[in-house]
Amino acid sequence: MIESIQLRVLQGDPVVHDVHHAKLSPLFRGLPELHQEKCPDGCSKCADVCPTGAVQVSPLRIDIGLCVFCPECEKVCTEKAIHFTDDYHITCNKRDQLIITGKQTELRPEIASEKIKKYFGRSLKLRQISAGGCNGCELELNATSNVNFDMGRFGIEFVASPRHADGVVITGPITKTMAEATDLCYEAVPEPKIIILTGACAISGGIFKDSAEIDRNFLESHKIDLYIPGCPPHPLTFITGILDWLGRKA
Amino acid sequence: MTPLAVQNHQPFSTGDIPILPVKEFEESLRGELLTQARMIGLFGLESKGQETTVIAVLARPLKSAIDLIGTKFSSAKNSYKTFADIFPQTHYFECELAENHQIIPEGHPWLRPVRKQTICGQELYSPYRMEGEEVHEVAVGPIHAGVIEPGHFRFQCHGELVYHLEIILGYQHRGIEKLLLKASPYQQNILCESIAGDTVIGHSMAYALAVEALSNTSVSLRTQVLRAISEELERIAMHISGLVGIANDIGYAIGSASYGRLRTLVINSTALLCGSRYGRGFIVPGGLQFDPTEQLINAMKENLQVVYDDVRAINEVMFGSSSVLGRLDHTGTVEKEWAQSVGMVGPAARACGLDTDTRSQFPYGAYKYTHLPLITLSSCDVFARARIRALEIEESFRFIFDQLENLPSSSIRNQLDSILSDSGVVSLTEGWRGEIAHCAFTDSNGAWKRYKIKDPSFNNWYGLGLALRSEAISDFPLCNKSFDLSYSGHDL
Repeated sequence: MIESIQLRVLQGDPVVHDVHHAKLSPLFRGLPELHQEKCPDGCSKCADVCPTGAVQVSPLRIDIGLCVFCPECEKVCTEKAIHFTDDYHITCNKRDQLIITGKQTELRPEIASEKIKKYFGRSLKLRQISAGGCNGCELELNATSNVNFDMGRFGIEFVASPRHADGVVITGPITKTMAEATDLCYEAVPEPKIIILTGACAISGGIFKDSAEIDRNFLESHKIDLYIPGCPPHPLTFITGILDWLGRKA
Repeated sequence: MTPLAVQNHQPFSTGDIPILPVKEFEESLRGELLTQARMIGLFGLESKGQETTVIAVLARPLKSAIDLIGTKFSSAKNSYKTFADIFPQTHYFECELAENHQIIPEGHPWLRPVRKQTICGQELYSPYRMEGEEVHEVAVGPIHAGVIEPGHFRFQCHGELVYHLEIILGYQHRGIEKLLLKASPYQQNILCESIAGDTVIGHSMAYALAVEALSNTSVSLRTQVLRAISEELERIAMHISGLVGIANDIGYAIGSASYGRLRTLVINSTALLCGSRYGRGFIVPGGLQFDPTEQLINAMKENLQVVYDDVRAINEVMFGSSSVLGRLDHTGTVEKEWAQSVGMVGPAARACGLDTDTRSQFPYGAYKYTHLPLITLSSCDVFARARIRALEIEESFRFIFDQLENLPSSSIRNQLDSILSDSGVVSLTEGWRGEIAHCAFTDSNGAWKRYKIKDPSFNNWYGLGLALRSEAISDFPLCNKSFDLSYSGHDL
């Protein structure tokens, strides 16, 4: 008993209290900052090295729904036209807003409809579907519930059954073998329900977008409520993204 | 004819692999298996017209050697006599070969799909089923209750007691091996980091070492040491993660909360090195993408010292608690002989008393100069698989502190030379789950002809099935967590 109390003392206060202003690793790659004016004519080095085709030139832009946040484009650019800032607020509710151009200094989702706010604003239970996710996104989603990030304090939690859920969080590019299970799981969630796509694979197929083994039909036929980019997204990207979308103060 | 014997990361000309007639191949391979060789690969190298060349790769830990031997199958002769009836360790490799190339192992005791629903043109596969009064079947998955990857489990039970567990995977199959053949070098790196998102360093290191071997590129001492540090950080983080899960599954809340906090500090230290908490973007063929400054190293040391001190305190309390031990002891036992005969690897095998660790048996990179002790336990149960994590965490910390004290200074990135044509390499690394094997072969232009990946989970899933025999079904989550295997690493 005494030992357990001693361990509790060692814990101290590990909680990230202010989820909007946490200090991450100085090398963390979040919202990219682009300087088109620095691009020399005809240079496409950044686009050439991009493994997913997320970076395009003239004009310079990055699709952070496709980006795997590797350091290649930033490293290859001698003109420093691309810089990944440590801003982890990169959540959005419209797919085209994930395409970052030079002017962007902030990316926040629009606040959800009154109906969604009324239903889910104070309690949101989510069912996670891993559909080809490599366990990177899954680890970070699990981390949202640990003692550091403690998403439960905002009333947002992962639940064991779709029947108990208000929506699904999909990770992975949706493999052919998971397509049916994804459909069934979503069907089992009672209305009204939401869909959140987490990670480059879920949003765009990511590095697997050209694979013959994926089946993304589910996404064609359903409205997506929230996109959470990253490879994998930081737990704080996930938490702040949902809070911003629900119009909540942390 | 003797097989081609090479060392870990030693390039060889593909033409040097003896290609024997099927009969002699069978004999030769049987001879290898009889003399304690462990299979690490059995796959089709290339198909020309009606002919498929198949390569068997075997590890000989005592000699630090890797043996390669091949044969050719044609549509007229597309079968061989199975090895799995005597050497269960080959059974899953044979299933994989049958699934991918329709080459049939005659007399195979349990031919079943590895990643698909059917095998060798047979009808839809149905799992093994026990029948009898009061016998019942429990089916779980592919979607599980937690935030984890998908897989399907079939339990054959009598009351609470599990007689047989069959694990059906393939839900995560993204076609990585095929994608790698067409991918640019930048894409290959990301694909290898995504084989299993919890073993980013282990797989990207195996890939980088394979490319470096085939291009005769040497990397600096600083690169090697920093790579090893990142690999040990991954091991520590994921071992702590495993302990979080085990503590959680037995309802030991202070344990899961404490380990959980410490894991954050460890993966944040990895993020100090490269910006990603899982080591993405750190290792590339030829070296590293980031060179940590003195200031970053100090911040890392500070973080890690806290974790080291606290983790030992928590280990002591958790493994000294009789209620914890009562729950872990004698749960999910896999006898040593079984573990050996099914070819288990990594901490799960070491927990059964098997000496298997790529870092000491097939040393690479910085492990050539600094040895980590090979730890084994003998109780073969969940306790051993939990305890071995605790012990390995402490060893990895000692290794990291030691290396950080004497970090060599040199450049961190070398230019790659062109890749050898018509050559191959076997690249083994010790991921936190165990032996990772990347077998890479080039064509006449130096592009990939075949890139075969084996995650340690491929060996160990069967071990989990065995651990559940004669266990209560309610112990499944605990047993599963004690193995902590990868679905995506298996499914590729």
